[in-house]
Amino acid sequence: MSPISLLSVLTEDLLVRVYTRLGSDSDRKTWRIVCKDFLRVDLVSRRSLRILRFEFLQCLLFKYTNLDSLDLSVCPRIEDGAISLLLSRPEWLNWTRCLTRLTLSRATGLGHSGLELLFRACPRLEAVDVSYCWGYGDMEASAISCAKGLRELRMDKCLGVTDVGLARIAVGCGKLERLSLKWCMEISDLGVDLLCKKCLDLKSLDVSYLKLTSESLRSIASLPKLEVLAMSGCPFVDDVGLQFLENRCPLLQVIDVSRCEFLTSSSLQSVARGHNGLLQLNAGYCLLGLPATVLHCLKDLKNLNTIRIDGARVSDSIFEIISSNCKSLVEIGLSKCVGVTDMGIMQLVSGCVDLKIVNLTCCRSITDAAISALAKSCWKLVCLKLESCDKVTEKSLNQLGSCCLGLEEIDLTDCSGVDDKGLKYLSGCSELLCLKLGLCTNISDKGLAYIAFNCTRISELDLYRCTGIGDDGLAALTNGCKKLMKLNLSYCNGVTDRGMQYIGHLKELSDLEMRGLINITSVGLTAVAAGCKRLAELDLKHCEKIDDSGFWALAYYSRNMRQINMSYCAVSDVGLCMVMGNLTRLQDAKLVHLSKVTVKGFELALRACSVRIRKLKLNSRLRLVLSSETLETLHARGCMFSWD
Amino acid sequence: MDHKENTWTKSFSSGNELLKNISTGEPSFPNFDSQQSQEKWEDPSVLDYRTRIEPPIKDFKQHSETQSSLPCNPNNQVKLPVQEDGQMDGSLQSSKIQDWDPRTMLNNLSFLEQKIHQLQDLVHLIVGRRGQVFERPDELAAQQQQLITADLTSIIVQLISTAGSLLPSVKHNTLSNTTAVGQLGGVYLPSMVDLNGGFQLQDNGESKVSDQSNQIDLAGNIGNEQIYHMEEHESKDEEDADEGENLPPGSYEILQLEKEEILAPHTHFCTICGKGFKRDANLRMHMRGHGDEYKTPAALAKPNKESSSEPILLKRYSCPYAGCKRNKDHKKFQPLKTILCVKNHYKRTHCDKSYTCSRCNAKKFSVIADLKTHEKHCGKDKWLCSCGTTFSRKDKLFGHIALFQGHTPAISIDETKGQSGPPDRGEGNESISKVRSINFNFSSGAPSGSEVQNAVDVKAGIEDPASYFSPLNFDTCNFGGFHEFPRPPFEDSESSFSFFIPGSSSNYTVPGSCNYTKKTGGESSSNNLE
Repeated sequence: MSPISLLSVLTEDLLVRVYTRLGSDSDRKTWRIVCKDFLRVDLVSRRSLRILRFEFLQCLLFKYTNLDSLDLSVCPRIEDGAISLLLSRPEWLNWTRCLTRLTLSRATGLGHSGLELLFRACPRLEAVDVSYCWGYGDMEASAISCAKGLRELRMDKCLGVTDVGLARIAVGCGKLERLSLKWCMEISDLGVDLLCKKCLDLKSLDVSYLKLTSESLRSIASLPKLEVLAMSGCPFVDDVGLQFLENRCPLLQVIDVSRCEFLTSSSLQSVARGHNGLLQLNAGYCLLGLPATVLHCLKDLKNLNTIRIDGARVSDSIFEIISSNCKSLVEIGLSKCVGVTDMGIMQLVSGCVDLKIVNLTCCRSITDAAISALAKSCWKLVCLKLESCDKVTEKSLNQLGSCCLGLEEIDLTDCSGVDDKGLKYLSGCSELLCLKLGLCTNISDKGLAYIAFNCTRISELDLYRCTGIGDDGLAALTNGCKKLMKLNLSYCNGVTDRGMQYIGHLKELSDLEMRGLINITSVGLTAVAAGCKRLAELDLKHCEKIDDSGFWALAYYSRNMRQINMSYCAVSDVGLCMVMGNLTRLQDAKLVHLSKVTVKGFELALRACSVRIRKLKLNSRLRLVLSSETLETLHARGCMFSWD
Repeated sequence: MDHKENTWTKSFSSGNELLKNISTGEPSFPNFDSQQSQEKWEDPSVLDYRTRIEPPIKDFKQHSETQSSLPCNPNNQVKLPVQEDGQMDGSLQSSKIQDWDPRTMLNNLSFLEQKIHQLQDLVHLIVGRRGQVFERPDELAAQQQQLITADLTSIIVQLISTAGSLLPSVKHNTLSNTTAVGQLGGVYLPSMVDLNGGFQLQDNGESKVSDQSNQIDLAGNIGNEQIYHMEEHESKDEEDADEGENLPPGSYEILQLEKEEILAPHTHFCTICGKGFKRDANLRMHMRGHGDEYKTPAALAKPNKESSSEPILLKRYSCPYAGCKRNKDHKKFQPLKTILCVKNHYKRTHCDKSYTCSRCNAKKFSVIADLKTHEKHCGKDKWLCSCGTTFSRKDKLFGHIALFQGHTPAISIDETKGQSGPPDRGEGNESISKVRSINFNFSSGAPSGSEVQNAVDVKAGIEDPASYFSPLNFDTCNFGGFHEFPRPPFEDSESSFSFFIPGSSSNYTVPGSCNYTKKTGGESSSNNLE
């Protein structure tokens, strides 16, 4: 059949229908390069765009006119000038018409004037993310307040935003429904109070790590539509504050009071009172003890599906209460709880059979008996965290591998009881996506091969300090787990350049940690760089044999590199300048203890990357030696330094 | 007797508490005031209370030989147990020891006379007023009636107690009678207290000897104490806002100083050399230089201390400015409490502002103390609203923003590029008032001065709220130009409220922010212009 006849059958709207069924980015990429018709379908149907390179920003925005979501978070060199250039011609402004969602996370180069231009140009903007723009302050908040129709705003870690900035947003964006103020350390009760008076539609509010007192909760309690309240790590909030919430905010579904040190167990009762619809409760690291009397309040929370009481001192009776009251529990977090026993877990799983996510991190007295009971009762288990549960052995994994076939994530870090046999059993969970085996020194290439053979969907694998792993294991791994995106091989000293060449076959790999691989040379790095085109994060700390030629290859191939740690490597001036100058997406570099690099080399390298770098870790000695001009330029571009 | 005592104790248990209240302090006094709601007779009653308290005490002291003013005599202590034995002993003792004192009697009678005269005057006054007052006649009449009843009751009570002192053998009966009358008086607390004082004395005499002396002293002191509280109460009133006081007309004396008198720098002049002083105390000190006769303690003492024994008619002051709410001819006249209030009120409201802040060169004041207060904070009012209002405190700004729709905090000036230079007050003022409903660009002219002032206006409004909201002031206090609004302290020319009067709305642009619509006082200012 000729291609012409195929296209004559498929009309454009049929093509659009097919296009919308495409799942992944890579599929869409393939679609785009089929032919011009297909490309045109992509251009008109595409609703969201994440721009990786500034160079293409303008032409992409010009072509994609029906965008409703634009993500500039990983696009370096977004700054006020770029924005004003983008918006300078009215005929280029088509893309702003429908835009409702704008992600500017970590766009530290952007200032208030650019923001204001942008927001004024996008009349239908509903969601904005400026999280981790650490330099943002009240002026930027003021610019954000120009987006009148805003419903969702994330401004985590906008460190300079004070009550004044928040007030501007509260007044300007009265329709706000979701707001995250996490780590906006300057915001106080006053700002929150005003927010709660002005934005009555708020459904979700995150005030984690703010210096708020209970007074803020009095204000928050007046929000009639509040569904989600996160106030993790508010050290000044006490039980009185939570009492304000009693019988208020009737729609509350999710509350996070973790790490609020002043809370006692009676605050749990306050939370339970009047909130029958509560779905999630996170009270981790805020309650020292959990008296059974208090837990009886859980009776009223029939719908509760998530409870996290990390770090609490518990007893078996608590699990009895939970299992008899919270039948619909889906997730339980018991990380670092003191007093979790096999009996307790058995009690729990006897009632809560729907559990999907169980976190037993550091519950060291747990044995196979508990895990077996869990696996048998909760066959829907999706995620299980057993870090540091030393007593877990292959018996547990056997039960999991035979009962919990839907298991997607398991954390076995530091479980010395796990060995090759255990991995063999575990490989029965063929849906596994994330497997963490860090510090499991008893596993070898053989065990890894079982996993690689059966669990082909794995995208994340942690083999940190698995000293038993060698090149053969990696050969098996790369053969089976083609979809691996994240791999940690740090301190697996058995791995050599040969293993690295296998790694080079992982096309999807984007995040590779290979700290302290003392046997790896530039040859191995070259193989990885040439093979893993999507590599965005690379940690080469203490790979002391890698020299300029390896970094040369990296600079040549790894054009998607976003974050690199090359501390203690044998790189010299040339290699560093190549890496910093050529990797045009590089945003974060850790460059300490580069003994072969001179000050001049640093100076050149930093100048080469100054337009796009956002975060630098340097030896503190350099602070005095580097020219102030370079440092100031970097700082003005929104680059953050951490001095070692 | 025992039986009687019991009933007494019962009937006066509440009274006893009252007595305790009085002895411990103020709380009972507001009651006292409010119940009677008349201060005019309060003084006489207090007085009469004081004098009246003596006879019964003396009565008792016919056994105990104690004067209320004197500390307890040890001899009495010895005798008291005898008194405890019973009525017979008591009466025996009393008849044995003391005859009636004609001087005391005369004293009492002359007081009664005086009191009756006062009552007469009051009734005269009421009769005179009845013709004039149309508003709330029922209420007023009720008040007046209450007033007179109370006064009459006190007179009756005193009369009986005086008569009782004549007849020692009837003493107890007298007391019981007075009690009855006292109860009859009902609302008339002072009399009750008084009686309780007397009664308590006896009661204690029956039960605890050691306490008795204290009680006597206490009872004897009540009069003084009360006066003391009175003074304290009054001085507190001075500081309070006026709205707390709700004196019925006629219950106080209205004084009106002339304009010249108010504005005179000195109010106390030496009659010998003519030197002026701000304070009477200073004048008195000055007078010492004019001769030895001015050096006596009496001459140096505060003159009105002595007059406390005389009936004091409450003094309130009227502003000489016609049409002012503080003027006595105003429909809703609200008197000023002290001369100082008059002076400050007059200067703030009806005078030019001649003191200019040397820091901002913008704010003007007519009272130098206001200037000093302002200068303390000038330049520190960093909390700025988009409407131009400044606040010295962040929470005040946020309260303001929470209150008004569309207002938002302005980003501080040093951050804003567009704003520069000190605001020129006068111009800003005029442009806002005259050029209504025109788009203003704040960045060009900077937040105009008048708006910047408003914060303080709001504050000032609290100090002098009456003049602020007074509609009459709006009508009549017209100084021409833009001075039509009453001017409380700190205020410059336009009250902040003028901005929120629904009038024409203008679009203002604050640099670095969005357009927002604000109601201005354009309409009200325009009234003035025409």
